[in-house]
Amino acid sequence: MSLTPNETAAILPLAIPAVAACLIPIASLDRDQSTQKWIRAAIFAIAIIALGASFWYTTRIWGSGMQPSYRYLSLDRLAQFAAIFVQISAVYAVLQLWDHLHHEGWVKGEILALLLFSVVGMMLFAATSNLVLMFLALELFSIPLYALTAIVRVRTKAFEGGVKYFLTGAVASSCFLMGIVLLYGMTGSFDLNVIAQSLAKGVLDPLALLGAALLLMGFVFKVSAAPFHQWTPDAYEAAPHPIAGFMSVATKGIAIIALIRVFGAHLVPIAEIGSRAQTAFAALAVITLIIGNLAALSQTNFKRMLAYSSISHAGYLLLGFVAGTTEAHQAILFYLCSYLLMNLGAFGLLSAFGLVGDDTQFRDMRGLGWKRPGIGVAATICFLSLAGIPPTAGFIGKYLLFKELILQGHVVLAIIAIVASLVSVAYYLKPIIAMYMEPPKEDSEPVIAPFAGATVLVSGVLIIVLGLIPGRLLDGLVKPSIIQVQGGAADAEVEVVEISLEELSPNQLKDSF
Amino acid sequence: MSIGELINGSLQAYIAVSFLLFVVGLSIVLMRRSLLVQFMGVELMLNATNLALLAFAKWRGGDVSGTVLYILIIAVAACEAAVGLALIIGLFRRLGSTDTDGADALRR
Repeated sequence: MSLTPNETAAILPLAIPAVAACLIPIASLDRDQSTQKWIRAAIFAIAIIALGASFWYTTRIWGSGMQPSYRYLSLDRLAQFAAIFVQISAVYAVLQLWDHLHHEGWVKGEILALLLFSVVGMMLFAATSNLVLMFLALELFSIPLYALTAIVRVRTKAFEGGVKYFLTGAVASSCFLMGIVLLYGMTGSFDLNVIAQSLAKGVLDPLALLGAALLLMGFVFKVSAAPFHQWTPDAYEAAPHPIAGFMSVATKGIAIIALIRVFGAHLVPIAEIGSRAQTAFAALAVITLIIGNLAALSQTNFKRMLAYSSISHAGYLLLGFVAGTTEAHQAILFYLCSYLLMNLGAFGLLSAFGLVGDDTQFRDMRGLGWKRPGIGVAATICFLSLAGIPPTAGFIGKYLLFKELILQGHVVLAIIAIVASLVSVAYYLKPIIAMYMEPPKEDSEPVIAPFAGATVLVSGVLIIVLGLIPGRLLDGLVKPSIIQVQGGAADAEVEVVEISLEELSPNQLKDSF
Repeated sequence: MSIGELINGSLQAYIAVSFLLFVVGLSIVLMRRSLLVQFMGVELMLNATNLALLAFAKWRGGDVSGTVLYILIIAVAACEAAVGLALIIGLFRRLGSTDTDGADALRR
């Protein structure tokens, strides 16, 4: 079987991390991996190089403007955006893991292999409109995450969180699957385009509606929006800090991007599903905002606070689907970019300060802002951005979302969201107060965390840069992603495919690579 | 009623049974307090979807894509079981039971 360059280009960004994920367990076979530093370094280097190569290749595809596809796998602009998003958050997680695992004294290679498999699954999840492949991708990124949650086996809490995440996750997968089966039963196809066309004709069967609702439930679980959010604080508290950060950013982000594809582009244009979906999104968003923000207020554990904060951010993101316009989808993607930086920065803070095990209370962080001023300032920027205070990227993201919401006439929802983000300032100030206003703990040996510290610093700088000049990201990355998927959803789809085929003559491909 | 009649029953009957199994599985997960039994509930939910899938595939004239997904689901369920059972065994070694009431360290 030989592949055309176009097909190779579609597969390679996923194949590179998949191959690396298979190599890493071989590299970490050695029982002495916890004593031999060069083996550990090699394992981490494989992961970073694979992610870097995949990132480089994806950005080249993006730069050349082509949208390669292979069978059900279509790496269109939105999928490329998703791939870049996941790769960056995975690089963050790997860098932070190096420091965090050394602090825990538990360095194993399989953690990176699982992470890379999860990355492949996530990229695949966003890069297909075939529901069978989507289900397989969902499981490909969920199952490694169940294991990753419980990976530090020396902690009892790790298993507990892992089991809870696994059980709820498996139920959500079953619901997602039932949704797929019902949609297939009503339309006879697993392809979203065919399903949408078939459902648009005639009267909508209640079973198809139930199928769409179950599908939405699976997504809502992955986004960790209320009322399917209970697993989030437990899983995040159990998981190693960088994995919790990766779960909160990448899982949520990829589920939101797939929601844009499945609901935003295909199912919502069907009037009967669309109106109900809008009501559902509005209800989910409001409940999520209220529960997430109120629960976060009473937390004393930094990781649980971040978990509830990530729930409330899911609420803001779902509000974008209530508006449902192209601009709203663009605002969602911009919000995701800023969310990646600020949340991975906030979780990275724990690794950068060398807090291990259960030492993740606010009181464990006291005075650390003065000890490590650079990281303290960068982390403060992350918290202010999470709270949505200008001039940070988080503020721009919220501004774009709320503006679109008001333009579409959902003023009440916008007011609720603004009140929620004002409330959120209260709990984001807690870690800042702990870092700066309280006396430091008795002197301990200095923490060595070069990579985790660097990720926090980079986050802080990028958040300010994005907050001051959001235009480049918006025009360069976010807007093209959404224009393409909307074009793919409308009747113009056939046209789009033809154009992309003409553009993709093999010679041109050779030139661009 | 003969076995032949049962197997060649109507689509509605298959879907009804499938929904029943699905709801039973879900309520097992929600209400039982033993991890292993809850895990069986999850498997029951997956098999309920399998039943619906095969019924739909048969109703659509033996559609191959539906049957293929059925085989994929079995494989995926096995993968899920591998990770899930490993987690349950790990927790059992720590707590000495598979009772979810004991797994409350994260709530404290």
